[in-house]
Amino acid sequence: MVAAWAFAMAALITLVPANMNPILIFSVAGNYQENLIITGVEGLWMQGFQPLGALVFFSAILAPVIYLLSVSYVCACWTLQRRLPFLGVAFRLAEALEPWNLLPVFAIACIVSVVKLRTLGTVNWEPGSLWVLATAVLTMIAVQCFDRKCAELYVEGSK
Amino acid sequence: MTDQVRYELSKALTLAGIILYIPANFLPVMTITITGQVESLTVMGGVMELYDTGLVPVAAVVFLASVVVPVVKLVSLSWLLGLHGSDIAASRRMNVHGFLIRIGTWAMIDIFLLSILVAVGQLGILASVQAEAGALFFGAMIICTLYAADIYKTHMIWQQPLPKSQ
Repeated sequence: MVAAWAFAMAALITLVPANMNPILIFSVAGNYQENLIITGVEGLWMQGFQPLGALVFFSAILAPVIYLLSVSYVCACWTLQRRLPFLGVAFRLAEALEPWNLLPVFAIACIVSVVKLRTLGTVNWEPGSLWVLATAVLTMIAVQCFDRKCAELYVEGSK
Repeated sequence: MTDQVRYELSKALTLAGIILYIPANFLPVMTITITGQVESLTVMGGVMELYDTGLVPVAAVVFLASVVVPVVKLVSLSWLLGLHGSDIAASRRMNVHGFLIRIGTWAMIDIFLLSILVAVGQLGILASVQAEAGALFFGAMIICTLYAADIYKTHMIWQQPLPKSQ
């Protein structure tokens, strides 16, 4: 559980540069475009596909943040053996958002998109994609370390 | 939420997923315009294009994630729900359910791919990527199957059918 806390915190920290830095730069005939995670959401939104934009925003940006925050919170409570308020809420959030933890899928999608775009123009990797990859790996380790049963027993004991 | 409601909801979502699967795969998900050439791609078309450019491993990943996973999910969900309440292959059903939850999210790769391509393809006349209606159906289908698998809890596999009320 301590390990899960550490990895979740690390993932939260890497999530910041992953969202602030461009993932890739695409250029055709001298024109170029920087590309952040949020740019795709904007693009879909402006093309009239608001539901899809919202879906991408939720699953690639919002859900990982909330999920990692609640996992770290539950792990912190367990590690410090202190029943802080909203422990139950945090645990239920972590449970509910587990299937929405889609950053690893996003990381793979980045790789595929680079491959796909290479036939269309020049694509350059940017540090942002490495941060996304780092976040994805750290999140997966945190999920593996997070002892669901143990957390559940602890949370339910607080009632 | 009672188990009966969960079961009914899961059935409804699976059925919705099956219906949405058809437009999701036959309508184009995006239109790519590069230097005047316009090309509409369906989900399968995107895979074929990757395959044609010689990138077999990448094509295989996308094929698995966005073509095989949804079919496997829909078929095995129907199987799980069809056998609900019976005691046939209960432990196997439990394994299948766990597997479903684990692979479930990979179909989202297509939506993320679209989002990245749309963001990149905003260079005006030179290159543009436009999302198409198929992507909406595809996204809806993924959400339906995700929830259908999530809402049906493992312990429900072991339940005996409720006695029929007269």
